[in-house]
Amino acid sequence: MKRRTFLKLAGIGSLSLATGCDSRPANTLYSLVKAPDDMVTGEPSWYATTCRECPAGCGVVAKVREGRVVKLEGNPLHPINKGKLCMRGQAALQGIYNPDRLTTPLLKTARGSEPVSHAKAAEMLKARTAAAAAKGENRVHLLTETVGEVLADLFTESLARWGSGPPLVFEPFAYESTKTAHKMVFGIDGLPSYRMERADVVVSLGADFLETWLSPVEYARKFKAMHAYGKGGKGLFFHISPCQSLTAANADLWLPPVPGGEGAVGCALLRMVLAEGRGDHLPADFREALIQTVAPFTPEKTARTAGVPPETLGKIGKAVLAASAPLVLGGSAAGGGDAVLQADLAAALLNCVLDPNRSLIDFDARHRVETAARRADILRFFADLKEGPAGVLLLNSVNPVYAMPGAGDVRDALAREDLFVVAFSNFMDETTQLADLVVPVQPPLESWDEYGGKTGLLSTLQPAMGAMVPAPHVGDLLLGTAFGAENRPAPDYASCLAKRLMADHPMATDRDRLETFRAGGRLEDRPEEKTGKTAEPPADLTPEPYLLNILAKASEAPEEAITFTALPSIRFFDGRGANRPWLCEVPDPLTKIAWQTPILLHPETMKKAGLRQEDVITATTRWGTLEAPVYESDGIRPGTAAMAIGQGHAGFGRYADGMGLNPFHLLSPLADTVAGGPNHGGEPVEIRKTGRGLPLAHTDGSRIQHGRTIALSISLTDLVHGEHPEKHGLAMHEFPLVLPLPEGYSPHRDIYPPHEHAGYRWAMTVDLDRCIGCGACAAACYAENNIGVVGPERILEGREMSWLMIQRYLDPDRPEKVAFLPMLCQHCDNAPCESVCPVYAPHHSKEGLNNQIYNRCIGTRFCSQNCPYKVRRFNWFDWEWPAPMNLQLNPEVTVRSKGVMEKCSFCVQRIKDAHGQAKNEGRAIRDGEVVPACVQTCPTGAFVFGNLMDPQSRVRRMVEDVRAYQILGYINTKPAVIYLKKVVQEI
Amino acid sequence: MDPTTRLKNTATAVANNRGPIFFTLLTIFLTLLFLYLFYASPAASVGPAQPIPFSHRVHAGAKAIACEFCHPYAGRSNFPGMPPVEKCLYCHNHIIANHPEIKKEHNYFDTNTPTPWVKVNYVPEHVFFKHIRHIKKDIQCAECHGAVETMDRLPRNNFLMGFCVDCHRQKKANLGCWLGCHN
Repeated sequence: MKRRTFLKLAGIGSLSLATGCDSRPANTLYSLVKAPDDMVTGEPSWYATTCRECPAGCGVVAKVREGRVVKLEGNPLHPINKGKLCMRGQAALQGIYNPDRLTTPLLKTARGSEPVSHAKAAEMLKARTAAAAAKGENRVHLLTETVGEVLADLFTESLARWGSGPPLVFEPFAYESTKTAHKMVFGIDGLPSYRMERADVVVSLGADFLETWLSPVEYARKFKAMHAYGKGGKGLFFHISPCQSLTAANADLWLPPVPGGEGAVGCALLRMVLAEGRGDHLPADFREALIQTVAPFTPEKTARTAGVPPETLGKIGKAVLAASAPLVLGGSAAGGGDAVLQADLAAALLNCVLDPNRSLIDFDARHRVETAARRADILRFFADLKEGPAGVLLLNSVNPVYAMPGAGDVRDALAREDLFVVAFSNFMDETTQLADLVVPVQPPLESWDEYGGKTGLLSTLQPAMGAMVPAPHVGDLLLGTAFGAENRPAPDYASCLAKRLMADHPMATDRDRLETFRAGGRLEDRPEEKTGKTAEPPADLTPEPYLLNILAKASEAPEEAITFTALPSIRFFDGRGANRPWLCEVPDPLTKIAWQTPILLHPETMKKAGLRQEDVITATTRWGTLEAPVYESDGIRPGTAAMAIGQGHAGFGRYADGMGLNPFHLLSPLADTVAGGPNHGGEPVEIRKTGRGLPLAHTDGSRIQHGRTIALSISLTDLVHGEHPEKHGLAMHEFPLVLPLPEGYSPHRDIYPPHEHAGYRWAMTVDLDRCIGCGACAAACYAENNIGVVGPERILEGREMSWLMIQRYLDPDRPEKVAFLPMLCQHCDNAPCESVCPVYAPHHSKEGLNNQIYNRCIGTRFCSQNCPYKVRRFNWFDWEWPAPMNLQLNPEVTVRSKGVMEKCSFCVQRIKDAHGQAKNEGRAIRDGEVVPACVQTCPTGAFVFGNLMDPQSRVRRMVEDVRAYQILGYINTKPAVIYLKKVVQEI
Repeated sequence: MDPTTRLKNTATAVANNRGPIFFTLLTIFLTLLFLYLFYASPAASVGPAQPIPFSHRVHAGAKAIACEFCHPYAGRSNFPGMPPVEKCLYCHNHIIANHPEIKKEHNYFDTNTPTPWVKVNYVPEHVFFKHIRHIKKDIQCAECHGAVETMDRLPRNNFLMGFCVDCHRQKKANLGCWLGCHN
C-alpha cells in the first residue's frame, strides 16, 4: 500500500469514527399529532372483541400498547369461554402481524400478479359484477367462511341486488352427519350446545371436543367441571375412536374400534340401555322398532364387527346405566361418511332414551357453525360452476383448494377463463393463487363487526388497533359495489351494523350501543342457563325406515388392509393456522412433534411392514400418494394409519410452505350419500418403504418416566379410602413435601440456611387432574414473553426456546394411558442453577423468584447442565421477528440476545404491575391479583398462582391437599411449583 | 559532541524527517480535536439539535410551566409522555403564531406528521424505568434530569446503573434485580 492510500484510509476511518459512531441506538421520540383519549404511553388499554380464528366465537380482550395489540386474553365475562383461550386464539396476533400479509390488491395479468389500488379493485369488482348481473340471474356467487348474522344478511342482500341467490358458507368441518342425525331424531337440522358440566358420565363416539369439535374452550371447561376431582369423586368419560386424539387421551377409558366401528359401539350401547327398560317415555312403536333394529348388536357380534372386547363394552354400558345424568356425543369434527352418521344417530338416540327431559342438550343455544353448507352442496356448487354460465365468484376467507380432498372441480372452476374470481383474503394461499383478483380486507381485530358463536348471543367486534394495512371491510366493499348511492342501506358497514344492532336489541341510544361494543356484546348468561330450565321433550318420534336402516348398518372392516384417517388438529384447525409460527413451534400434544406431519402407525403394523420410526414411507390410496415419515404410536389401533390435518401447504407463506403434509391428498373427494359430509377416514391405504429416513423434530426427551417422580397419579380409591401418612425419609418415595419457605428448612436435610422472604413468596400449583395437555399455556407464554421461534432444524438440535412446555408421559406397561405435565422453571428455594453460575446470573430474589440476569450472563450454560428440570434455554442465535412481527413483542419484557440463558420468570412483569397497583392504593397485593399468562389462559383452570406466605391464599390451601407433591422432590431443590397428582379411576 | 554540533545534528534530523514529524503532529492534533469535539465542545454539552429549537429554559424557566403539563403521564405511567403537537398549539395559536419555527409546528399539525424529537434521556433496553414509582415517592424531576429550567437544549443524559443504585441504597429502595428494574 502506498503511504498516500494509507493516509486516505486512516482519514476516512477517523472521520467516520468521529461522526458515525455512537453506542446508542437510533432514538427518535415521536410525539403524536393529536392524543387519543384512551392512550396513556406506557400503560395498556384493553378492548373487548370476539375471536374469529374458528367458528366457536370466544370473547377476547386485546391488550394494546401504544396503539398496537400485543396480547390477547379471554374475556372473563363472555359466556362461551369465560376468560380462557386456546392456542389458536393466542396466535391470532400472528395473523395481523404476519410478514406474509398482503398489502395491496393483486390482479392476475398475463405478466403475473400485479398490485393495483383499492379504488381500482373496487371499481373492477363493481364493473364485473354489474356486467355478470346484466347477463342473467344467478351469475354472481359468494362462498364465505362462517360469518355473523349481520354480515351474512348483507351478503344475501348484495347478491340479491345482482339477481343471485344467497351465499354458501364453506367450512371444512361442517358437522353434516351430526346435523342430519339431529334432523332425523329431534327434527332440528342444527348443532345444539351440550350442558356437559351437569353430566356425570360422558361417552364420546369420536367427538374431539378438547381440540376442534364445535367449541373447544367451552367444552374443555365444561368437561373439567364434571371430570375434575372434587367432593370425593369425579365423573367418568369414555372415548371411542380408532386413533387416540387429545380428547381420547383424557378419557378414563379409550376404546379403539376398527375405523367406522364407533357407530356399532353406539348401537350396542343403545341395545343395552333399551334391554334394561330405558326409554319407556318414547312412543311405543318407535321404541319397539328401535329394539328390533339394534337387536343384532350383541356384545359378541359388536366385538367381531367393531373389534372391541365385549367385557369393555359391558363396562361402559353398566356405567351409562348407573349414571344419573349420562351424555353421549357423536362423531368427530372431521366426519367419516356413513359410519360417522351411524355414530351420530346412535348418540342422538341414546340421549333421547337416557335423558327423557333432554336436559343436557340445549337447542336454544345452537352453534353458529351449523349455518355451514353440507359438503355435498359445496361439491355440487363447484360442479355447476365448472359447467354453468360464466359470471363472478367471490370468495371470502375460504381455502377450498387446500381443504377439499381432490379439489379437481374447484381448480377447474377457478381456472375458467370467463369466470372472474375475486378472493377477499389477507394471505396468498392455494385458493387465492387461482383467483383473478385478490383483495385484502380488514381482519377481525381491526374491524367493527358482530359474531355470536351461538344463537341468541350478541358478541361484538371492535377495532382493537388502527389498520396495519389500509384495507376496506368486506362489508364496505359490498356496500360500495352492489348498491348505488341512492339505495345503499347504510353509508358504510359500521353504520349498517349499528342500525341493525339497535333494531334487533333493546338499545335506546347510541351511547347504549357504544357501551355494548365496549363490553364486547350482551354477555349475560341466558336466564334458562341460570335457572337450569330445560328444553321441551323431543318431538313425536316415528320409526322412519331410513333412520333405522342407517342404524342397522354393521361395518365389516377388512382387517388385512391398513385404513387411513385424517385427524383434525388442535394446532392448525382445518389448516388455516399453519402460517402462525407459534402454532408450528408448539408441538403436537401427543406426538410432541413440531413443524412436521408424521404418519402415525401402531408398533404391530410397523413390525409387519418392517418399518422403524423416522422411516419415510409412500402411502398410496385410490386418490393420491404422500411420502411421510413414520411415527410409532401406541395411541392408534393396529391396522390403522392417521395423520393430522393442517400442514402441507403450497403458497401459504414462509411459515407454512414446505412444512408437514396435507392428508387430504389421500382422501376421497366424494361426499357421503345420506348426510352429505366429506369422508375423512376409512380409506384403505397401501404403505411402501422408500428406504429413506427423516429425523422427526420432537421435543420430548423420553416417552416414559423411568420410574422417577415426575408426573404422578393416584387412584380414586386410594385417594378416598387410602391412608396418607406424613413422610419423613430421604429416599425417593419417603421424601416429604418441602415448602420453599423457612419452615421447610431442616438441619437433617439442608446444607444451606433458609432464604428469608419479604412479605411474598410466589408459588404455583398445577393440578394434573385438570391439565388436559392442550398447550394453550405454552402458546400464551410465547406471546407474553417474547420467546424466539427457532424452526424445525433447531428443534432437532434440541434448541427450542419454550419457557413452558407440556410434557407427555406414557405408562410403560399400558402405553395408552397418557399423563400430561406442564413443565416450567420450578423457582426452587435450593436452586441448583444458582450455585454453579460463576457470575451470579441466576439470582434468588427476596420474593423467592429465581431471576436470570441477562446482562450478567456470559453463557457458560453450567446452570442448564445443573438444572434437574431442564427448563433453562440458551440463545444460540439472535432470533428473528421479521417485520411487522416485531410489533407484537411485549414492551414489558426484554428481548434476549445471542449468548444468554433464559427461562420462565413467573411473568415477573405482571408481579411488578401488581406491586405498582398495590403501592398506589397503599395495600398489600391481594390473592389472585397476580395472574401469569399461562394461568390466565388455561381453559380448565389447572394452575393456581399466589403468595405461599399468606396462609389464606388459594395456592397455600392447594399445597395442603394430600395429592400435592414436588417433581424430583427427593433431591431437595424445594420447588415452588407444586403439582397435584392426577386422579385416575379404573373401570 | 559539542552543543552546536548536537543542535546542528538535530536540525538536520528534523530537516530530513520533516514529513514524518508533520504527520505525527497532525495525528496528535486531529486526535485531540476529535476528543474535544466529541466530549467537550459547547455543542456536546448543550445536547442534540431538535427539529424545532424548543427551549426548556423559556417554557419551564421563564414561563414556569409545570413539567407535568407537557409530560402528563409521569405520575401515572412508566413513561412521562411527550406532548402531542395539538398541545403545543393550544398556546402557540396565540403566542408568536407566525414565528418561522412555530410555522414548522403548524406544518406538522396540518400534515398530520409526528414530530421526530431526538431522544436525550436514555436507558438501555433491558432497563424498565417506571416514572410513576418515583413521582409517587416525591422524587423531584430535577433530581435525575437536572435544572432543565436553565437549559435551552437538553444535554444527553446517559443514566448508568451506579447512578440508580446509589440513590436506591441511600433511600433504602428496592434493590431486587427483577423486582427493581430488569426483567
